[in-house]
Amino acid sequence: MASLAGEIDNTSDDPRVRAPLVVGDHDLASVTESVARVAEAPRPPRAWYIAFAISVSALAILGVMILYLIFTGVGVWGVNNPVGWGFAIVNFVFWVGIGHAGTLISAILFLFRQKWRTGINRFAEAMTIFAVICAGMFPGIHVGRIWFTYWMFPVPNQMELWPQFRSPLMWDLFAVGTYFTVSLMFWYVGMIPDLATFRDRAVTRVRRMLYGFFALGWTGAARHWHRYERAYLILAALATPLVLSVHSVVSFDFAAAQLPGWHTTILPPYFVAGAIFSGFGMVMTLAVPARQLFGLKHLITMRHLENMSKIILVTGSMVGYAYLTEFFISWYSGNIFERFAFIGRAMGPYWWAYWIMVTCNVVTPQLFWFKRCRTSILVLFIASIFVNIGMWFERFVIVISSLSADFLPAQWGYYTPTLIDILTLIGSFGLFFTGFLLFCRYLPMVAIAEIKAVMPRKHRQGAAAAGEAGA
Amino acid sequence: MTHAPVIDIKNERRHVDDLTPALARRAGFTGVLVLVVGAILGYVFGADHFAEQFLRSYLASYCFFLSLALGGLFFVLLQHLTYAGWSVVVRRLAEVVACAMPLMAILALPIVMAVLLGWKYPFSWANADVVAHDALIQKKQAYLNAPFFLLRTIIYFAVWIRLASYFHAKSVEQDTTGDVELTRRMAKVSAPGMLLFAVTITLFSFDYIMSLDPHWFSTIFGVYFFAGSAVGIFAVLIIMAYLLQREGRLENVITTEHYHDVGKFMFAFIVFWAYIAFSQYMLIWYANIPEETEWYHVRQTGGWERVSLALLFGHFFIPFLALISRHPKRRKNWLVAGAVWILLMHWIDIYWLTIPAAHDGAEPHASLHLLDATCLIGLGGLFVWSVAGRLAHQSLIPERDPRLAESLAFENQ
Repeated sequence: MASLAGEIDNTSDDPRVRAPLVVGDHDLASVTESVARVAEAPRPPRAWYIAFAISVSALAILGVMILYLIFTGVGVWGVNNPVGWGFAIVNFVFWVGIGHAGTLISAILFLFRQKWRTGINRFAEAMTIFAVICAGMFPGIHVGRIWFTYWMFPVPNQMELWPQFRSPLMWDLFAVGTYFTVSLMFWYVGMIPDLATFRDRAVTRVRRMLYGFFALGWTGAARHWHRYERAYLILAALATPLVLSVHSVVSFDFAAAQLPGWHTTILPPYFVAGAIFSGFGMVMTLAVPARQLFGLKHLITMRHLENMSKIILVTGSMVGYAYLTEFFISWYSGNIFERFAFIGRAMGPYWWAYWIMVTCNVVTPQLFWFKRCRTSILVLFIASIFVNIGMWFERFVIVISSLSADFLPAQWGYYTPTLIDILTLIGSFGLFFTGFLLFCRYLPMVAIAEIKAVMPRKHRQGAAAAGEAGA
Repeated sequence: MTHAPVIDIKNERRHVDDLTPALARRAGFTGVLVLVVGAILGYVFGADHFAEQFLRSYLASYCFFLSLALGGLFFVLLQHLTYAGWSVVVRRLAEVVACAMPLMAILALPIVMAVLLGWKYPFSWANADVVAHDALIQKKQAYLNAPFFLLRTIIYFAVWIRLASYFHAKSVEQDTTGDVELTRRMAKVSAPGMLLFAVTITLFSFDYIMSLDPHWFSTIFGVYFFAGSAVGIFAVLIIMAYLLQREGRLENVITTEHYHDVGKFMFAFIVFWAYIAFSQYMLIWYANIPEETEWYHVRQTGGWERVSLALLFGHFFIPFLALISRHPKRRKNWLVAGAVWILLMHWIDIYWLTIPAAHDGAEPHASLHLLDATCLIGLGGLFVWSVAGRLAHQSLIPERDPRLAESLAFENQ
């Protein structure tokens, strides 16, 4: 096997054999060992401490920002009239989008029998959970009077106020709530066998009790496995439509309105494609350093990264297709407001945001047409950061540019975020990374049990004979 | 996963050269006959409106069969793009369906001619008088004009014919050479091929279907047409496999497992179609802007509301409930019945897209015209002529595809 600067190359496209998904000289025991030792090491790597310190600091900033917001009011943000939806909604859509890759990998790729998903599904799912938490926070703090947030839920109250079921914002609450619940269940159910492994290997009483509690008495009996497999399949089938529905409903927040630039029928599938695109961007951003830091290169191989880059290319192209279709139809409609909205995006006051979006989301992924880029760690990492940036700006363009200039010129306005807005955004990354780093430290980062099912051999036979991964 | 013992394909009957040439001749002859007789009858009884009615009916059936050929092309591209293993045994069938593309290019001529001659139908924007009194169409003239329409049609078919014949020819070449490199090359071509496919099918649906109502626009329209095409090809694959096996071909090659998988895809795309249809409808209904709702208005009045409801139930709820379980997908007879039903629904869908729009100001009433039936049978006959004729020329499976063994041994868990 050729070496890609310290990597084992399993990206060969020989149609006669399926590429190995676990590389190097590994057997079942050594796979368990390599995942479990991350959580069992007395101390995590130094880089973990540095990252954790930064994340917790950002999280603290978030806490301060939210308190300041609650005690002062939403006036501390840059929202104005007409731009009543500012950073908070941009960030909400951004984080929900990030949260799409996890369930796509664990549900849709599972149904498509994409075995390579086993290397990345666990931490992608964890990422989903934390991203949806970040997302859910923003509408909650955006309501102004935060102590009435619970009114969004369909609970009867003495004042006879009821949720407005005709509002897409209400649908959002249900869509995101359902998605979070099912994703959490999926993540947890999938983790049970691995938690039992951790329990069995635990050397301290606290660890044994905690992992044991969450392992639900798993013994690995055939009956357990049977039920586990059934539950997993059913959850996958339930979660698959959810992957599409969540961001479709988020897109309804915009598309159900009459505002030019928001009201367009392609928005639901376009938002879903964009969400998967951004989700995979974030998985890549996390996977590249994590596999290095925790010594998981043999489980999250070059092929995993290459496959992810292909999905980024596909979904990035879908997003590009949607941009082009929107632009064309805005002209084809013959509607002056439509035309104005889209020309305004590219050449109006927010032109810079638009071109950042196009460069990052449409141009950057084109690198992945080339195998050399798909197998270069550096290119993958940098491109994934661009994808994250681009997708944040996409939401910025959609939310801000359409609101700032609608039908009546007298109502136009320019939106400028305040320092509080920016610090809250940074803080949300703190929340996300704090959660993710804790997950890396204490839970099985890779689905040990699932990855064993796609290993070609159970015993060490030397790296050269890694073999195929099955049909 | 357990692997069934791999069968030896040499013991299987995998040619139809004794069977389909005669079928193709009969189908082609019937097709032309029905088309001509229908046209004569239509002319005799419909005189004034004959050309208009004929072109409308013709366009509906034309878009239906073209969507199947496009679906075939999509299927082939997708299998190569994803290095799919399970589907090898049915891929040749899709390749052959996609190869109906040259025929479809020729069959586009009546429609293109009507546009070039500046007729009011099927596309009112092609007529100078209509455009002169319509400010909105005038704004779109840079796109909606006859020469550009012709040029785009040529480009679409150049792309589709090239792609369809490339994948078919390379695959057949591999039958004799067994060259693994061909598989790799097809995978390489499939990526830009898919990109071209997406752009061309979208613009085609704008040109040939959406512009029937030249005021109306919907960004999701291309995706909607694509979703229907994908549903169509999976139904066609099931029916083709069933008919071939009834004649004793590929008896042990295409197994329950393959039916199950094609059935899953058909189910998935039925849901996808419903998702796209719902997205379009809900957003237009909710925003309630007259320039958009007019399109649905004609489809909810004059008897069309029944067709719309038939689609809602027949194209989604009924097949959704009927196919959600694995059992019908693993019982050939049930699955074929479902596929025939779905194909019928797909035709109704295309009919519902094209016919209500093509009227001259007046709100159209839903009523099946004799020409609708003769065009369907006529073009259907020609379509079968193309597909059945080509089936005879090579093996029914990619004989030496490097993933054939994987496909033969494939089992659902």
